[in-house]
Amino acid sequence: MLKKRIGSFGIILIIALIFIFLPFVYNNQSFLFNMMLYIALAEGLNIIYGFTGYLPFGYVGFFGAGAYSASLAILFLHFPPLLSIFIGGAGAFLVGIILMPLLKLSGAYFAIANLAASQALYYIVANPNLESITHGPYGISLASIYNPHASYYTMLAVLVLSMIIVLFIRTSNFGLSLLAIKEDHITASLAGVNVAKARAIAWGLSAFVAGLSGACFAWYVSVFYPGTVFSLNISVIVIVFALFGGIGTIAGPLVGALILYSFYNFIGISAPEYFQLLYGILIIVLVLFLPDGITSILQKRKIYVP
Amino acid sequence: MFKLRSLFFSSLMFILIFSATSTFGKSIPSVIKIGTLYASTGPFAKASESQFKGLKFWVHNVNSKGGVFVKAFKKKIPIKLVAYNDQSSTATAAAMYNQLITQDHANILVADFGSVLTSVAVPLAKEHRRLLFDVTGTGAKFFTPDNPYVVLTSLPTSGRWPYTLADFIIKHKINKIAIIYSSNDFDQSQAITLHNKLRKAGVDIVYYNAVPSSTSNYAVLLHSIKAKNPNAVIEFGYPNNDIAFLQNLGSSGLKFNMVFTVFPGQLFKLLKSNVGEQGLAYTYTYPTPPLLRYNKVNLGVGIDEFELAFKAYSGKSPNFLNVAGYNVGLIIKKTLETANRYNQLSFRRAIGKFSGKVFTLNGLFMVNKKGAQIGEILPIAQFVMKDSKLKMNIVYPEKMKTADAVYPAP
Repeated sequence: MLKKRIGSFGIILIIALIFIFLPFVYNNQSFLFNMMLYIALAEGLNIIYGFTGYLPFGYVGFFGAGAYSASLAILFLHFPPLLSIFIGGAGAFLVGIILMPLLKLSGAYFAIANLAASQALYYIVANPNLESITHGPYGISLASIYNPHASYYTMLAVLVLSMIIVLFIRTSNFGLSLLAIKEDHITASLAGVNVAKARAIAWGLSAFVAGLSGACFAWYVSVFYPGTVFSLNISVIVIVFALFGGIGTIAGPLVGALILYSFYNFIGISAPEYFQLLYGILIIVLVLFLPDGITSILQKRKIYVP
Repeated sequence: MFKLRSLFFSSLMFILIFSATSTFGKSIPSVIKIGTLYASTGPFAKASESQFKGLKFWVHNVNSKGGVFVKAFKKKIPIKLVAYNDQSSTATAAAMYNQLITQDHANILVADFGSVLTSVAVPLAKEHRRLLFDVTGTGAKFFTPDNPYVVLTSLPTSGRWPYTLADFIIKHKINKIAIIYSSNDFDQSQAITLHNKLRKAGVDIVYYNAVPSSTSNYAVLLHSIKAKNPNAVIEFGYPNNDIAFLQNLGSSGLKFNMVFTVFPGQLFKLLKSNVGEQGLAYTYTYPTPPLLRYNKVNLGVGIDEFELAFKAYSGKSPNFLNVAGYNVGLIIKKTLETANRYNQLSFRRAIGKFSGKVFTLNGLFMVNKKGAQIGEILPIAQFVMKDSKLKMNIVYPEKMKTADAVYPAP
């Protein structure tokens, strides 16, 4: 177990070093920021989907809640950006607690209810009657604290944190409890696992990671609209990235986001007119030939994937 | 000793000559790179592609004449357009704008269509000290006194749009007004301006409400408005809102003395095909080129000539966004012709120099100190039926008027 933990820490360290030094070599910082953002979100989704089997189609709701919580902390409470990022995570965690009854549902019912909840949140935030609080549909401007470099490295810290959380779950008894719940929650309960508590912790951690990511995103772009941070495209992209790499591991969502986001940008830059065609073909190939993700190739050969 | 000294001096001379020639060679680019984004999918695709096509047409025209004259180098240099597809996504757009600035080293940065896709470009352009030519992003929060790196080229900021509409209402003594607007930056700023101006003039605003931008059914709202018995109903919305509003109005059988919507004057064909000629008859709008015919211009070609050339180039008649895309090209051309030095702040200073003196097929180009467009005015037009055909008359302001308004509407 110790060996596996050290190996996984090695991967996290390498990723951190790459993103620390990459801006000095490749200065499209927005691309690198988005890459980190999607890896962190894919890891956050992995916590709930990869280990408990709950697919949150409305995962973007936590992301948006984080972006808005942090922004309101900056605009109204005049909190410094780093504290506000934490508030963003806490705000999403709070939303996670409010939405906890959804965990009583399962399968498609949970996915749809979660999607509806994220849309409800979007309409609440974008309500013109709440203009004095959320700025309604007219967007938020954080131009006064715009700092792309600081927000970049804060995002890196969130990425590392998300990977450490997944590492902890992957290599702890708590993770084993979650996997047992994923297989059969009644059997897990009979074996002494506190199903409700374990699921709630995973749900809250997943929401917290998405909230921190949303808060960093808000700081990085500095001007955004509700539609930007509650866009369902974000949920879809993150789910596809996690599935492409393979869920239930640290490496799967990481590899998925690294490959697919790079490919996404590569096509967008080199062959924008064929974007939909090429991206669609890639996803079809994935579904047909690698339904358990890229890392399943190694797992089938009994090679340990962190 | 002598040999050593002569070797030192000859080396120094060589280095000086080499560095001078290499600097000279580097300072005159072989092409002017214009970097821009467009969306081929998503909610902004239709508008974005139209705007992009207008810019491409301008590049095609300029390059067919050997390029654009750059005053800083006193020579003509061809244009190279570098364009990426942002898929209507702001996150993708941010990465692509960054790609244009940091990897492609675009000399000129042109924003994608509208406020949402422009919003991510504004802080990036400021951070990298690159002048952003904002074509149609009219959001007021982009233009701040501390940011000299943004200029709005082809539309006034949205808060200024209803100036003439307010004057028209006041002048015609229309004293009971209903205002319904979609809850977004663009429409809210118009509603606020109109509301404040009318209130100041003592006009009674009997209905003033926002609806979500996704509203597609106005039937109940129209009856609520009718219950207040206004003389004029002003609807500020996006094209989908205007279409739904006018369709519901037609099917409801309700009549108002004056009905105003925003987009029939910009996207006439789209509105006509969805609402029909009867649905547009006797309603009012802001007309924009090509409905508005500016032929007396001092930069580029007039609208008649543009329409013919654009049709020959693309096989289609131009719409307003084609004009807007072409117009930003004209402003870029004038900037390069005027700037004494080839750097971003000189470009901004050059724009300040010719602001208020340039009249294009899109109207007067004039920006304030923040870079916001204040020159173009949006007159008021009314669609009327003549010989069973829909015709547009400009009814206000007086200097542009082609006919009197038919008020109240029959």
